[in-house]
Amino acid sequence: MNIQAGDKIPAWTMESVSAQKMKTMAAILRDPNPLHWDRDSVASLPLQLGQRTINQGPLGLGYIINMLHSWQGPDCLKRITMTFPGLVLDGDRVIARGNVTSVEGELAHCKVWLEHEDGRKLLIGSADVYL
Amino acid sequence: MQGHRFPEGRYTVEHWESFLLSDCTGASSLPDQQVHPIALFHIPFLAGGTSIAQLFALGQAESDLSIMIESYDWEFFSPLRENISYTIRGEILSAQRLRNAREQIYDRIQFCFDLSDKEVPVARSTITWHFTRDTL
Repeated sequence: MNIQAGDKIPAWTMESVSAQKMKTMAAILRDPNPLHWDRDSVASLPLQLGQRTINQGPLGLGYIINMLHSWQGPDCLKRITMTFPGLVLDGDRVIARGNVTSVEGELAHCKVWLEHEDGRKLLIGSADVYL
Repeated sequence: MQGHRFPEGRYTVEHWESFLLSDCTGASSLPDQQVHPIALFHIPFLAGGTSIAQLFALGQAESDLSIMIESYDWEFFSPLRENISYTIRGEILSAQRLRNAREQIYDRIQFCFDLSDKEVPVARSTITWHFTRDTL
């Protein structure tokens, strides 16, 4: 496959972000932050998020990595840098997307992001991917 | 805080942990005993005998709710794999007191961790958090 700048990476969708998986992740990470497992804590914030837990940053990043793995294989990732302008909440339907910005030999530089089904970008970053 | 070094440590990802990590992302387990790259987030903490809670305390977090993520930067020199005892070295790269656009004070702290296998570099994680002050 000839990959070129401007190519779109096939999207990867998480149909419904799971509060249960956030709890599992909190245990693995030993992460005490109740925003990931206690809906009442989230509801008490002045952010009008309601009774929904907030996904851990690494999990949202994981959805983007899954997209890259589906595209170029499980050992394709060289580097990924991510910012977190939005929150991912349990029950959200989110889509990982990306496109190729340039290609150097066997390495593709990509813009990647995670967006809510309503179009809001929740994570934005870049990735270097072995082709 | 800048220059603070965490104790060098070791960590091995076992199959059960690798399986759960992939499952949490909605993916199947990876082939050839590869570990999902998101493991690079927590391996350094646990290897160094620290934890997210202790990092929060190190930055004098006002509460668990007061931490905001600026960015994660993960670089892989080879894939992470199960049942390898990785060596991890980490330090605080920078610590700055800043103000946001609303003139609220926060501390921007950048942590960097290097993973190696028998002194061969495997991966590097640089995470940048904002410790907000008097905002929540």
